Amino acid sequence: MSANVETFSPKPSRPAPADTVGIIGWLRANLFKDVSNALMTILGAYLIYVVIAAVLEWAVFNAVWDAENRRECLELVGRSGACWPGVVAWFDNLIYGLYPKDQVWRINIAFLILIAWLVPLWMPKVSSKIAVGLSATLIYPFLASYFFLGGSKGIIWTVLIAAGVSGFVWVWATALCETLRGKPITAQIIAWLKLDTAEESKQRTAIRLVGLGLLVASSILVSVWSLEEVRTNFWGGLFLTLVISGFGITFSLPAGILLALGRRSHMPAISLLCTAFIELFRSVPLITILFMFNTMLPLFLPPGIETNSLARAIVAVCLFASAYMAEVVRGGLQALPNGQYEAAASLGLGYWQTTSQVIMPQALKIMIPSIVGNFIGLFKDTTLVSIIGLFDMMNMARAVGEDTTWLGLLFEPFFTVTLIYFFFCFAMSSYSIRLEKRLSEGRDRN
Amino acid sequence: MNQPSAPKAIEIVNLNKWFGHFHVLKDVNLTVREGERYVVCGPSGSGKSTLIRCVNQLEEHQEGDILVDGVMVHRNGSNRTEIRKHIGMVFQSFNLFPHLTVLDNCILSPTLGLQMPKKDAEEIAMQHLSRVGIDDQATKYPLQLSGGQQQRVAIARALCMKPRIMLFDEPTSALDPEMISEVLDVMVSLAEAGMTMICVTHEMGFARQVADRVVFMDQGEIVESAEPQAFFENPQYDRSQQFLSHIL
Amino acid sequence: MTDRSAGVDLPTNPLARILRDSRLRSVFIQIVTVGLVVGLFAYLASNTSANMAERNLSAGFDFLDVTAGFGIGFSLIEYKEGDSYGRVFLVGLMNTLLVAVVSIAFASVLGFFIGLGRLSQNWLISRVARAYVELLRNTPLLLQIVGWYLGVFTLLPRPRDSFVLSEVFVLNNRGFYMPSPVPEAGFNVVMWVLLACVIFAIGLARWARRRQDLTGQPFPALPVGFATIIGLPLILFLALGTPLSWDIPELTGFNYVGGVSVPPSFCALIVALSAYTASFIAEIVRAGIQSVSKGQLEAAGALNLPSNWTLRRVVLPQAMRVIIPPLISQYLNVTKNSSLAIAVGYPDLVSVWMNTTLNQSGRAIPVVVMTMAFYCAVSLTVSIIMNQYNKRVLIKER
Repeated sequence: MSANVETFSPKPSRPAPADTVGIIGWLRANLFKDVSNALMTILGAYLIYVVIAAVLEWAVFNAVWDAENRRECLELVGRSGACWPGVVAWFDNLIYGLYPKDQVWRINIAFLILIAWLVPLWMPKVSSKIAVGLSATLIYPFLASYFFLGGSKGIIWTVLIAAGVSGFVWVWATALCETLRGKPITAQIIAWLKLDTAEESKQRTAIRLVGLGLLVASSILVSVWSLEEVRTNFWGGLFLTLVISGFGITFSLPAGILLALGRRSHMPAISLLCTAFIELFRSVPLITILFMFNTMLPLFLPPGIETNSLARAIVAVCLFASAYMAEVVRGGLQALPNGQYEAAASLGLGYWQTTSQVIMPQALKIMIPSIVGNFIGLFKDTTLVSIIGLFDMMNMARAVGEDTTWLGLLFEPFFTVTLIYFFFCFAMSSYSIRLEKRLSEGRDRN
Repeated sequence: MNQPSAPKAIEIVNLNKWFGHFHVLKDVNLTVREGERYVVCGPSGSGKSTLIRCVNQLEEHQEGDILVDGVMVHRNGSNRTEIRKHIGMVFQSFNLFPHLTVLDNCILSPTLGLQMPKKDAEEIAMQHLSRVGIDDQATKYPLQLSGGQQQRVAIARALCMKPRIMLFDEPTSALDPEMISEVLDVMVSLAEAGMTMICVTHEMGFARQVADRVVFMDQGEIVESAEPQAFFENPQYDRSQQFLSHIL
Repeated sequence: MTDRSAGVDLPTNPLARILRDSRLRSVFIQIVTVGLVVGLFAYLASNTSANMAERNLSAGFDFLDVTAGFGIGFSLIEYKEGDSYGRVFLVGLMNTLLVAVVSIAFASVLGFFIGLGRLSQNWLISRVARAYVELLRNTPLLLQIVGWYLGVFTLLPRPRDSFVLSEVFVLNNRGFYMPSPVPEAGFNVVMWVLLACVIFAIGLARWARRRQDLTGQPFPALPVGFATIIGLPLILFLALGTPLSWDIPELTGFNYVGGVSVPPSFCALIVALSAYTASFIAEIVRAGIQSVSKGQLEAAGALNLPSNWTLRRVVLPQAMRVIIPPLISQYLNVTKNSSLAIAVGYPDLVSVWMNTTLNQSGRAIPVVVMTMAFYCAVSLTVSIIMNQYNKRVLIKER
């Protein structure tokens, strides 16, 4: 190669023509590309204006904020404005149903505990997130049930509630220990007991004893703690909606995983049973299952056992949700490349080891968006329990219009309830979309 | 090989293009005469694909002129059909229609675009398919073929529209190494038959063998344009030298 | 696939030996599972029969011939109070299918346009379509149905103050009324000609295709065909002196009489189901069209395909493969969701059968079995169709 080489110096970039970038460029490209595009822009703008103006006029500008009853509202603005005092008067009922007003704190406390239980999931230094999540779904419900239901409790019930209390203590002990000291709580306990040098079996026994001690202590605490009983027919509103969907979600995830594994199993009898269950529950509408359990569950159970309609609804919702979750899980399992199974087999792992250590963690990650989608569906579907007579949020909204003071008030409570549902579902779906994007970025980088 | 008197097939004058604020092509000038073979190379992001995509209007340019067979390319796309009539294009990712058989892929443009009877179109398609050596796969679907075979089908498909100019946009970049030569062979034979070609490629062996000129681009500019011998043995600029030392 | 390792000394305990041999273990697990399931069913069955004996309930299907003795507000087939339970089942089934078919039709059209709106190059239009989809998808369907029913259709004016569109379509709080056609002499001829025209148009389309294959010349078969189908029968219809009269609903006393009418519950159900399902269909359509990669469009452009042919031969065939399977499962969902009719009192299968009939006859088991069987049959049919379709359009790969 010759020596007389020139140095290449690139020309400086010129700014793009003004009509292709910035606000003007954006407007030209997206709103006024050609005549038909501009016409559509005008049409769209008009549509937005009409809808937003109508809603604002009704809900804000013409609305009545202060009135004793519906008649007063009607006299003031007729039907052209919303009558919010009715919704305000019933708002507590929309949220808590007919739960006694002086006991509502129990619901609030239970939900606060749940939030506190889940906070460690967002703490960056906590490494046992899976255990925290599992404990929240498996142990928390016992504690929550007692908060909601109250009443007398036998020995077993006491221990289960105590497990809830100990679980909460354990979660925060773990979270604090891992955040502040950077090691698992078990190691910390060993250190405190000065058993660092002891043999492993001794250490394990010590940990178990500490755990047992915690459980016994909280059992004693729980046995002296008593809450007034609130029967389930007083439950209602958003609270009931959350309880039913919470049960559905908690139950459907493990059940769905088992059903999906069963369906993919090489054992014909198991795969047939699981397939039959999944297909049956997926091909009929939820309302028929609710009706079926409502009328048939009392027949199925031995004479003398009474069930309330909430329990029947929850059983129906749980089974229904599991069938749908099973298909989501199956989709995730199918999306995994075969190489993963082969790799696990080549390491000599058994079925359960392969599934729980290699397959599920990956598959669950792929499935998160569809699982959230399923949860949204379940959350929306809980409205169906109103048809079998439970007072969920929608039925509560209907009840506002049947209150003699607010007779015929329908739009406003329905509007409110719709907003609440929308808020929950939209938040969940936005979260899942964000998660999906982040996951796919992670995949692309690899 | 050089015919300085032949009419201009493609003439690009002071072409400028931006993607948003990013200035991709800066005052590019290039003239390709009929029968000439140009190889365009350069590091990724240098604007070489964008350049040839502007020629058949897959990208819109903002400043400057492009003339194909002496006809000015209108920026608003009003003469897009006329311009594209004589230009065949081969893509990096083949872009075959997966729901149509190889043969149906090839006759789509002749029957629907050129309004040729189906039988004649099939005859021509089979000629081109046998030219690229896959006439025996005509009834298969694209995804049943290997990458190299797919790219050869894509070339045959482009040839079926009887183009006077062929544009190749990194035709071998998506291929496994052992399949590159089968595609290059087809391109060489096409070049030897006298087709006007612009190839964006890093296959320097191919450039040495058939190119009339090698164009080296960097940062949206044509850095140098020379005959292959001169370019490979005596690059004029430091950037070209660096590029060659990386790629050879 | 057995992990029997002959070298290892086998345990003598028979149960342990079964558990070590993977094939025996699998048989063992299956037997235990089947046993447990059979046991569970036996337990439930014995409880059920004990409970039923206690409450004097019966499980037979013999009640189907018994007079139902209740009225049904809306029915496609003739039904009166004296008819049997079997007839009630049929009425409910027809009503369910009617809601499903009508909603599917509306939802498909609406969903298609909203899906195109989502893809519009116009930012505002795509935002409006997005807002529609998010709003409708993220609120419960039941809430929407009840909202439309209580908030709109029952608040409509009384028959005397009805909304009347072009003097023949009537909307009031009793429902929606439209004229029904009454054919007169000669109308048959028009229908036959119409049929002939349809056959002609199909033939024309085939001929046009063949001609294009042979000569390369396209023929506008679509517009010509449509013109024939609409034009010829219309001319004949007018020439014969419009041999069709309409039974137009008219206000008689306190209500409209004549024409066809549907109750407000039906209207609410159709509007809500269509609007809700359209939001899902819009997303399916959008995903389908987006699944056709940009490269495909560029290739079609580089091949100089006319844009209408690009749509018909390149985009649609590929998009439809992606669209059809989820679309069909949405149609199935509409059928299942139509069961929410019960909340607004529209007499669908679940409402008249699983609710009214079950409560009145007390035959829980046969009623539940028949309802479930209907829905299972529908979804089985759909999944068979879908499998056939998927097999046919599968893109052949290596």
